[in-house]
Amino acid sequence: MSEELPTDAETDSEADASRDLIDPSSVGLRHVFGAIGLLALGLLPLGVDRLLVLKLTGALYFAVFAMSWDAVSGYTGQISFGHALFFAVGGYTSALLNLHWGFDPALTVVAGMAMAAVAGVVVGVPALRLEGPYLSLITLVAPLILLQVFVVFSDIFGGELGLASPENLLVFESFETAITANYYLAFGLFVGVLALLLAVTRSDAGSVFTAIREDEDAVAAAGLNPAKFKIFAFVLSAAVGGLAGAMFVHTPVGNPQPSQLLVLTVSIEVIIAAVLGGMGTIVGPAVGGLFFYMFRDYLGGVTATVPVLGAPIAELDLLLFSLATLVLLFVLPGGIVRGTIGLGRWVLRRGGRDAPQTVPDGGEPQDREGPLERTLASYREAFDDIGNSQEEDHEH
Amino acid sequence: MVDVLTTTINAVTISALYALVAIGFTLIFGVGGVLNLAHGAILTVGAFTAYYATSALGLGIWVGAAAALAVGGLFSAAMYLGMIRWVQDEPILVMILTLVTSIAIEQFFVVTVGTQAKAVPSLLPGQLTFAGLTVQTNQALTFVLSWLLIGGLVVAVNYTRTGKAILATSMSAKGAALVGIESDRMYLYTWLLAGALAGIAGVFLASYRTASYTMGRGPLILSFSIVVLGGIGSIRGSVLGAYLIGFLEVFTVSYVDSSLSGLASLVVLVVVLLVRPEGLFGRELAEA
Repeated sequence: MSEELPTDAETDSEADASRDLIDPSSVGLRHVFGAIGLLALGLLPLGVDRLLVLKLTGALYFAVFAMSWDAVSGYTGQISFGHALFFAVGGYTSALLNLHWGFDPALTVVAGMAMAAVAGVVVGVPALRLEGPYLSLITLVAPLILLQVFVVFSDIFGGELGLASPENLLVFESFETAITANYYLAFGLFVGVLALLLAVTRSDAGSVFTAIREDEDAVAAAGLNPAKFKIFAFVLSAAVGGLAGAMFVHTPVGNPQPSQLLVLTVSIEVIIAAVLGGMGTIVGPAVGGLFFYMFRDYLGGVTATVPVLGAPIAELDLLLFSLATLVLLFVLPGGIVRGTIGLGRWVLRRGGRDAPQTVPDGGEPQDREGPLERTLASYREAFDDIGNSQEEDHEH
Repeated sequence: MVDVLTTTINAVTISALYALVAIGFTLIFGVGGVLNLAHGAILTVGAFTAYYATSALGLGIWVGAAAALAVGGLFSAAMYLGMIRWVQDEPILVMILTLVTSIAIEQFFVVTVGTQAKAVPSLLPGQLTFAGLTVQTNQALTFVLSWLLIGGLVVAVNYTRTGKAILATSMSAKGAALVGIESDRMYLYTWLLAGALAGIAGVFLASYRTASYTMGRGPLILSFSIVVLGGIGSIRGSVLGAYLIGFLEVFTVSYVDSSLSGLASLVVLVVVLLVRPEGLFGRELAEA
């Protein structure tokens, strides 16, 4: 029984993650890792190859895009199969304004974001009337329609080939400086969106999003208007996705082309990335997005061929990812981030199992553990204390 | 005049194929209550089965078509057994899984066949002439075969024990279970049937156009339009929807602008979803 207590406490503390973030004494190990990860991302461009920094810039925008998908689909359960629509609306609006009218990218990015928000209303309003599968159908179809429009009006939108590259947001004399500056711009957006979406999803509105996913009727019965929250989620998500798309086209890596912004595979790639990372967590899709983009890029550069198929690994990337996602959905439906947290807790608990409480006389157990286990066990103890005190607070 | 007639014949043929695809799609949704977004990819599986049978193994196209029918059905059944059966109560997971499966299938063909389109021979080469009108024999065969299969399906569903059991399951899985029908087996039959229909449709589609890894996408999206237009779960709605969408598409491409291919039916889909989500015939096979 006593072993069950920490688990309950963990769930409690998960629900109160926002309080955890503010209260330094209760910062969990995973938050420490998260902070280390962010720090590493922040320091990375100082030490690595410029080309890699350029790719990481793209990965950061893709991760922002994945987070925007998660805000609506992972939380409200209104699965969007066409999130590329928002990415593309943002990117194309910004690129067109810059290319045809010469507006400054800093302005056009905002316009792109606004247009994407409008697109979010256009897609989100049907959410008032339509239930899950029908809504997913609409979202699946919306970017296909947009692509058709782009093809029909090729003289404006460039059709299947896309538009020329618009100006970069940050221009410097030296290309190297420009790359680093663009990276930090992307990194800033990444951190900002991460913080924003974490705040929103951990707020009361976020709880309503999750409640809509679980049981929309119950939300309505509780006197809340699910449609209002759905539209809010859609518009927020669309604006963030559009912002990512708009800024992405103004970097050396991104171009306003359907293949990068709009085609069906883009919509599905973002789902794969989010599912791989762990949908419904915001952090998961952020990690999943970075991982997906960078690992695909790495696979694309591998020249070795697979012996049986006789095909180069470079061509297998999306196949591998889709198969991995299928397997992961069964084995670890929560995704990598949740899985890692779960594994960490399991390790911690294992460490804790041999710890004091199992020794009948109250003394120290046999010293069979290595330093790592000891460290983990002490962490575990600290966790238990925090958890137990919280538990008692709740009980009494 | 002849031009309009030729276009009409094209529309009738392609509609007959769409009907085969849409019926499978609607059966799976109507009976099992899940949306199979990999249904279009089974067309691709069927088409490439026929392609391999004819070009690599040197078999006749009829053998290839039979193989496509079998492989499409078995593949679809395997998808149900290996994947969908475990998650069929979670519609979102089903949609993501089937969508990702369709991408995996597409990528599989990219890797094994490449992005180049492949030709698949006609089942019946040559032309028929009647009343001064020339029709490709292959097109006539599509039309006849489509109606034979649809007719057979309707008869099977309404007059055989298994068919009635499938119908019962679609109306109420609980009620069917109470009278001793194993719903899982009925779902399996539905997937098998739907896959076989899609497989054979893929062969015909590839023989008109070509076989390529993305060939299933268009028919999948059209199936949505058709099924939503006709009313999800309704067989006669799907047949009617297939002809409406088929005609709309062929006539738009022939007389308005060929770059509009696909757009008209997408717009119809959105309008129907917004105005009358229950479709023309409502949900015949739905749980009450």
